[in-house]
Amino acid sequence: MRATVDGSGIVAQSQSALAPFRLYRPESVAEVKAVLAADPEAVIGAGCSDLVARIREGCAPRALVSLRTVAGLAAITHDAGVLRLGSMVTHHEGATSPIVAAAIPGLAAAWSRIATVRIRYTGTVGGNLMARRYRYEMPLLLGALDARLSISDGRTLGTGELWTDDTTALLTDIAVSTADLVWFGYERSMRPTTTVAVAIRRGEDATLSVHATAGSEYRRGISMRADTQVGTAADIDPARTASVLAAQLPADIADYTGSAEYRRHLVGVLARRLLCAAAVATHHREDEPHE
Amino acid sequence: MSDPDTETSVAGAPAPRGALDISIEFSLNGEKQNCRIDSNAVLLDVLRENLGCRGVRGSCERGVCGACTVLVDDVPVASCSTFAFAVDGASVETVEGLAAADGTLSPQQRAFAECGGYQCGFCTSGMLMLTTGLLRREPRPDRGTIRDWISSNTCRCTGYEMIMESVERAAELTAAQDGDRV
Ligand SMILES: Cc1cc2nc3c(=O)[nH]c(=O)nc-3n(C[C@H](O)[C@H](O)[C@H](O)COP(=O)(O)OP(=O)(O)OC[C@H]3O[C@@H](n4cnc5c(N)ncnc54)[C@H](O)[C@@H]3O)c2cc1C
Ligand code: FES
Ligand code: FES
Repeated sequence: MRATVDGSGIVAQSQSALAPFRLYRPESVAEVKAVLAADPEAVIGAGCSDLVARIREGCAPRALVSLRTVAGLAAITHDAGVLRLGSMVTHHEGATSPIVAAAIPGLAAAWSRIATVRIRYTGTVGGNLMARRYRYEMPLLLGALDARLSISDGRTLGTGELWTDDTTALLTDIAVSTADLVWFGYERSMRPTTTVAVAIRRGEDATLSVHATAGSEYRRGISMRADTQVGTAADIDPARTASVLAAQLPADIADYTGSAEYRRHLVGVLARRLLCAAAVATHHREDEPHE
Repeated sequence: MSDPDTETSVAGAPAPRGALDISIEFSLNGEKQNCRIDSNAVLLDVLRENLGCRGVRGSCERGVCGACTVLVDDVPVASCSTFAFAVDGASVETVEGLAAADGTLSPQQRAFAECGGYQCGFCTSGMLMLTTGLLRREPRPDRGTIRDWISSNTCRCTGYEMIMESVERAAELTAAQDGDRV
């Protein structure tokens, strides 16, 4: 809250107490890049649902480049085993997209449970990632899916790298490989204490590996991985694999909502639940990869 | 760039000028509005302070409580967390636009009155706009859908059951008004 930053209390001040910022409304990615190069103080704004909260918490951008009118950032495609999400895809669009639902049903289902109806229409996948807030869930979902983020400076990053890379360049799109993806699911029933996302992928030797992330409101997501010797999700030993995953959590995993022991226990329970769901869901299609 | 106050630029061209204040044009409850606003103005302030829409309430100012809900191009948004520049070219609807010009209440307003969907009334304008947005999208929502939508707005008074009933009744009255007799 701005008032807290000022030391003057906890009541939010009106927006009008803030100095106006320089506003840019570019229409192409090239124009965004030109603005960012010419005005290094410019902060990117997508749906601005997080940015407004940040401003009310005391952040005072001197310049804002709005992505609202930038063409070509909201596409969803699934070609040659790659699901590609433009950074401006809103939660509502992602959750209701037939392309996402066909490519990774578990992602569409998880996406539909993010936030509230108002925020789902406004908030974007790019904003959720680039806000770099531990409590936001896209880094967990896309982290377990090993998504690659295309940045306008020419690099691609993994979602985990966002916590150590402080780029303020434009995120253009997010790519998720589906060619070897067998199943994906997400458990948020214990949110805010612990959530777990699980992706099961088939390796070159035809055995499956489990890629998972564990999140909580107050800690950055943690990646875990367990390789199996089996070829179908139904043959994965859920209890054993879940405990292999949970054992990878760091010793200092405790936060405000639970001790390390409790959080490790929860990750084990939620991962086991997801692996059981994977066995049931893939039972009839003999673990055909998503194409 | 779409703003006349900024210069069109391409990579390598001179720095574009950002604007500190801008002109926006949008439709408010069906009437065209032209406003000159500060770049950082939020829609809630513009609607309440500049355009006199006092039915749009501010409370949490974090997009959480729903008191400030308005429809922008038919979808509910938190006006407290929407920069006013974002509605340039859009259609904005507030609770002031619900009743007919002769004062006849809309089906949603009648339903909330009939079912006691409010006590102090602070949340009611946001609830009415949320209901309007929902029924445009799903004229006959089931209870689960109503709960999903209503759960995004906070009411400190009612316990929500009467609000749920009000939304169901609003669906019936809207269908009846549209000629689809229930
Ligand atoms: C009431 C409420 C409930 C919520 N519940 C949930 C929830 O349950 N789960 C959850 O995960 N999230 C939740 N959220 C967070 C919500 O999902 C985010 O606010 C939203 O996704 C942010 O998207 P945006 O487009 O509005 O981002 P903005 O506010 O526009 O941007 C956020 C940050 O990302 C940067 N940015 C945005 N786009 C780009 C880009 N393309 N390239 C580079 N940087 C960029 C901005 O500079 C800014 O720093 C909730 C938010 C609210 C207000
Ligand atoms: S005042 Fe806007 S959501 Fe609470
Ligand atoms: S009727 Fe009082 S807050 Fe809802």
